Amino acid sequence: MSVTADAPATLKKNYLTALKEAIDEEMTQNPNMICIGEDIGILGGAFGVTEGLQAKHGASRVIDAPISEAAICGSAVGMALAGKTVMVEMQFIDFISCGFDQIVNMMATYHYRTAGEVSMPIVLRGPAGAYSGGALYHSQMNEAWFLNSPGIKVICPSTPYDAKGLMKAALRDPNPVLVYEIKNLYRMRDIEEELPEEEYIIPLGKAKIRREGTDITLVTYGQNVYHCLDAAQKLADQGVSAEVIDLRSLNPLDEETIVNSVKKTNRVLVVNEAPRTCGFAGEIVARVNELCFEHLDAPALRLTRMDTPVPWAKPLELHVLPSVDQIVETSLKIVRF
Amino acid sequence: MPAQKSAPPKTASPARPSDLLTKEEHLELLKHLYLARYFDVRLIKEKRRGRLTGTLYSSHNQEAILAGTLYALKSTDWISPIHRDMPAFFMKDLRGKWGQDDRIAMTVEEVCSQVWGRSGSPGRARDNWSHIGSKSGHIIHSTSMLAGTIPVAAGLAYANKLDGGDAVVVTYNGEGSTAQGVFHEAINFAAVHKLPVITIIENNQWAYGTPTHLEYPLEDFARRADGYGIPGWVADGQDVFDVYDKMVAAVEYARTGAGPSIIECKTFRAYGHGDHDDDRAARYRPTDDVNKGRERDPIAVCKRILVEKGMMTQAEAAQYAAEGKGAPQTKDEDFPPEVVEYLKRGVEYAIKSPLPDAAEGAMWVFRETN
Ligand SMILES: Cc1ncc(C[n+]2csc(CCOP(=O)(O)OP(=O)(O)O)c2C)c(N)n1
Ligand SMILES: [Mg+2]
Repeated sequence: MSVTADAPATLKKNYLTALKEAIDEEMTQNPNMICIGEDIGILGGAFGVTEGLQAKHGASRVIDAPISEAAICGSAVGMALAGKTVMVEMQFIDFISCGFDQIVNMMATYHYRTAGEVSMPIVLRGPAGAYSGGALYHSQMNEAWFLNSPGIKVICPSTPYDAKGLMKAALRDPNPVLVYEIKNLYRMRDIEEELPEEEYIIPLGKAKIRREGTDITLVTYGQNVYHCLDAAQKLADQGVSAEVIDLRSLNPLDEETIVNSVKKTNRVLVVNEAPRTCGFAGEIVARVNELCFEHLDAPALRLTRMDTPVPWAKPLELHVLPSVDQIVETSLKIVRF
Repeated sequence: MPAQKSAPPKTASPARPSDLLTKEEHLELLKHLYLARYFDVRLIKEKRRGRLTGTLYSSHNQEAILAGTLYALKSTDWISPIHRDMPAFFMKDLRGKWGQDDRIAMTVEEVCSQVWGRSGSPGRARDNWSHIGSKSGHIIHSTSMLAGTIPVAAGLAYANKLDGGDAVVVTYNGEGSTAQGVFHEAINFAAVHKLPVITIIENNQWAYGTPTHLEYPLEDFARRADGYGIPGWVADGQDVFDVYDKMVAAVEYARTGAGPSIIECKTFRAYGHGDHDDDRAARYRPTDDVNKGRERDPIAVCKRILVEKGMMTQAEAAQYAAEGKGAPQTKDEDFPPEVVEYLKRGVEYAIKSPLPDAAEGAMWVFRETN
């Protein structure tokens, strides 16, 4: 298939391709980089994010690891200690729990423990998120575990452009960066977009306003960005102007963009598909209170998954997750407070 | 299939490697045993005087494992000691380099500063006791999580191998730690890629309050190696020369690219798990077992061999008598003065080293970017 410059539609790329390009470009530019994960080489990854990578960069730099998350995460630490940059793929982000100790106790603390002697340039990434019938162990957004573990940066891109730019920034960061890739977005046609020909990097810690508004701020990330955009459209139909902030990066967190928005709208709703108790949504609400309480005309609220696992059957799954209708309803409640 | 008790692998040299050591080297190994023992004795006394915080996990009676394994390494090799291995930090690279502080991974001053929680510690006392390391000195910085550095060792070995280096990576582990899941994952990974990783098992018969038969159902843990398709050796952990011989074989095996191996060193824990556990250990461990386990003091075993080899007279062997005693009963006179002096230097330095600034507690969470 040939692609010509005057057929812009065919130049659009999906979220998965954007990630693949970022990793491939970094592998090409950085001979010191190694990729390790389950089935990432011969197969090219369960979803295909690393397709073609092993053929291009060799089996010693694109390692098909045994099904051993602790050994994968721990060996990444050893490789980083030897001066390598490491990309670790979790086949599903849910399985990261099997490598938990190596991540939070070994990797995340290494720089701290050594008073800065050792850096850990490691990217941990994998498919995440619910709303896709993945059931309990293929649907998680478990970022709160790691946001509660000092020493790990956490990001969650929602567009192809961001996926590539943020992934490249992550792969150049001297610290561990955990990337929540939204598997529902991997091949979503509606969000495909043209990516710049020239290289670009999106620095970690910068949120993006996806839609401007004046009456309420919806703070979110991941696939909930699209739920919030749909809700904002419905709210507009009812005369309510909602601003939608896509955090993109959770740690570091762009407090400034949140605060500036709240100063303008005086109302805030945080939307997050992760469970409620001790979830990141609660953290955002707390920060809003700490940073700009005096600008609030109504309580800052959150809309999250119920405190349940993600069940399988469709009605069950949708029942426990935030929906567009719920976002509209809660926003109206806040606006009419 | 029985474990390879003493047969060296085909790649090893035919003679016992320890027989090729010079007389000076034989005597040096004895000195290293004294040094490790004196460190322990001194710290137990410091602890009892209330001058130390934290727990001392005594390596008393297990010194031959550290001395014998470290003696077979080059300074470019990496090690990862555990809680019971404090002397390993200042004994790495010490072979032939006594007094040459700039040529060893970590000085006794640095190690003592760490034990005293002072800023002179390589990690500025951010974590306690054995949780230090050195990137330049090739010592992996461990956490508290047992067996946790084995995958790190495997990754390090993988990267070194990729870069064409010949460094061997050695982790030390208690026999109880072998029941950790990560132990299996990491050794399997190392075996798949034939990585130069040597796993030392300090089998001191007890994991805190649990005896070996409740940790794994084997007579010789080294047999576990069969399942990974790698060699497993059993060493007499009381005999520094036997430990050295097995280690030379394992190092050669690793360095030539043949892959990882396990060395099980049989020994016995002299005291409680840590100094906080001494009183309880006296109750949960039968006295007869303890006496039997401590029968063959590694210093006495080493001296006997030196005398047999004609490298020491009986009178010389009797000059310093650190063996066969409990730490509190051991005196400075039981050690060669240079050993006492060596450690004294470390202790005095540590005591004078300032505490770290409080504000450092909030530093180094992330490496700053741009
Ligand atoms: C993962 C983990 N679980 C529990 C502990 C607590 N712990 C510290 S040392 C120890 C016993 C270790 O026994 P062994 O591995 O035989 O080493 P030894 O102390 O006998 O040298 C235990 C249970 C720990 N440090 N890490
Ligand atoms: Mg033990």
